Amino acid sequence: MPARRPTRLAKWLISGPPLLYLLVFFAAPTLIMVLASFRSPGEFGGLAPLVDAAGKLDINVDSYVRFFTEPVFFQVFVKSAWYAALTTVICLLLAYPLASLIARSGKKHRDLLLLLVILPFWSNFLIRIYAWMIILGPNAALAKLVNRVLAAFGAQPVPLLFSSFAVLVCLVYVSLPFMVLPLYANLEKHDQALLDAAQDLGANAWQRFWRITFPLSLPGVYAGAALVFIPALGIFAIPDILGGPDDTLIGNLIKQQFLETRDWPFGSVLSIMLTLAALVLAGTAAWIGRRSAGDSRA
Amino acid sequence: MNFRAIAALLAATVALAAPAHAKDELHLYNWNNYIAPETIKRFEAQCNCDVVQTYYSDNDELLAKLAAGARGYDILVPTSNAVQTLIGGGQLKRIDKTAIPNIKNIDPAYLNTQFDPGNQYSVPYAMSTTIIGYNDVKMKELGLPTDTWAVIFDPKYLQKVKGRVTVLDSANELFAAALKYLGYSVNDVDPKHWNEAADVIKKAKPYWAAFNASSYIRELATGNIWLVHGYSNDIFQANQDAQAAHRPFHILQGMPKQGAVLAVDNMVIHKDAPRPDLALRFINFMLEGRNSADLTNLIGSGNPNMDAIRYIQPAILKLPAVFPPKDVQAKLEQLKDLTIKQRRLRNQLWTEIKAAR
Repeated sequence: MPARRPTRLAKWLISGPPLLYLLVFFAAPTLIMVLASFRSPGEFGGLAPLVDAAGKLDINVDSYVRFFTEPVFFQVFVKSAWYAALTTVICLLLAYPLASLIARSGKKHRDLLLLLVILPFWSNFLIRIYAWMIILGPNAALAKLVNRVLAAFGAQPVPLLFSSFAVLVCLVYVSLPFMVLPLYANLEKHDQALLDAAQDLGANAWQRFWRITFPLSLPGVYAGAALVFIPALGIFAIPDILGGPDDTLIGNLIKQQFLETRDWPFGSVLSIMLTLAALVLAGTAAWIGRRSAGDSRA
Repeated sequence: MNFRAIAALLAATVALAAPAHAKDELHLYNWNNYIAPETIKRFEAQCNCDVVQTYYSDNDELLAKLAAGARGYDILVPTSNAVQTLIGGGQLKRIDKTAIPNIKNIDPAYLNTQFDPGNQYSVPYAMSTTIIGYNDVKMKELGLPTDTWAVIFDPKYLQKVKGRVTVLDSANELFAAALKYLGYSVNDVDPKHWNEAADVIKKAKPYWAAFNASSYIRELATGNIWLVHGYSNDIFQANQDAQAAHRPFHILQGMPKQGAVLAVDNMVIHKDAPRPDLALRFINFMLEGRNSADLTNLIGSGNPNMDAIRYIQPAILKLPAVFPPKDVQAKLEQLKDLTIKQRRLRNQLWTEIKAAR
């Protein structure tokens, strides 16, 4: 037993700092948010005193009641989930061929291709969104081309900028690397011998993909889907800058509570609901992932 | 790395850090682009100190940051309703008037307002109005009026400019404009009138390209957007950009005949200011006509400083949205702060407007 102690100590030393980091920067703020959600908003912003002038403890569920009784907030939630889901599916469809191409290319090209995937991270997120304002603007080549094609079919011209289309395009653009990287990490480890064996036994290209490669890549798909879906669900900068008058998502709503409305408790409730939605989805993805991993072993 | 390299690096760090400690610093938390660079240089030379600026893009950002406990600022430049909020929240330090004799330069019409009776905490800095901005060539082509909120809210006019209009992404500003359009005060708090305003906004929304607070200056200047509900400073800026790029049009300011929101921004001292002495010197310095005029000449802001007038470019003095004549002044109103109950109701209506199809 005494011989084990140092290793246990070492384990704690190694896992301690990240654990502490999570505790301080994730658990504590979440707890503060939960507490704030049961309090009243302050007249001038912030929170009202915990004990009011009459000496009564001011704790209530008003903000939760408001969330569940006003349908408009749920509507915005559903819309945000829809945008995030669309983004995830489009990213998956675009990232899969790209990731397998990178995984199958030679060692020399592979590093370069990976570098290209993460290259956009070298410039600031907001600058990249502003760049899309120029690309999608009505006087840019893209909008002119699209509208010329539409005109040829006798359709009315459409604006590309300030539209749901712009929001979706940009969401896919900023999320794509988060789908490519986990997929690549998974696909790169696949054993080529399996596919060779399948081919020898008469499986065609589609069967080889659908019955071998795709099931084996599912953990990468789930990881990528979670990395894309969850941030996309809470985003506010993209609809703010590129969206049209209808493109208000849950992230914009939360931002409004803390800025213009100065209603911290309701902002906290919306944030908690968003965190819960993300947790449930991540949990479900993990559960499906584990179950399918169990299936493939059986 | 050997010992000598580390020692050299340390010495360099100390050498770099030292001058910053030697000199006094004034921390100014200000709107983006809201003081002329030459004014800063002049003050730095006069006080033998450094002005360290940080920026915010709206009052809400300033209030949220201070409510969350941000400290270290000497001077803030909030709009009157935010001054009211900051005073209510006990965030400000009283201003010693004997230290700022130049306050005599301020037009009495802008002193002793309901937001800060007796100017115990705040001194007017600059002003803007929330008005109509438009592309003169396009509006003339389409035969649209530019002196009424109807052009922003009435589908009869909007159908001609569908998709070429933006409005501010601010519930308070947009409701104020809609209330004015309906003939009410911008500070009307009757929920019935708010519902009417919300209906006006919902009917006009399908014709607007976006709710926009950040990029409409650029969109106006490039000719992508032809009509906006926006701030007089921004519209002035858009025209300067359009002229600099030799565009074949001007971006002009339209003062709606129903009246509009006037925003007066004020210098205040934070209660935990590290250098209240420098802050007072700065306020007195900014109240000098020439220094105050620099900002107006740079961004086309309105100016409550009577001594500044003689330094301001005549072309700017002629703009009615920047220097409103008496009859226009009578129709301008400053926004008052809302109570939390009113803010919740407004947010409810705003969310419904945004989510409506």
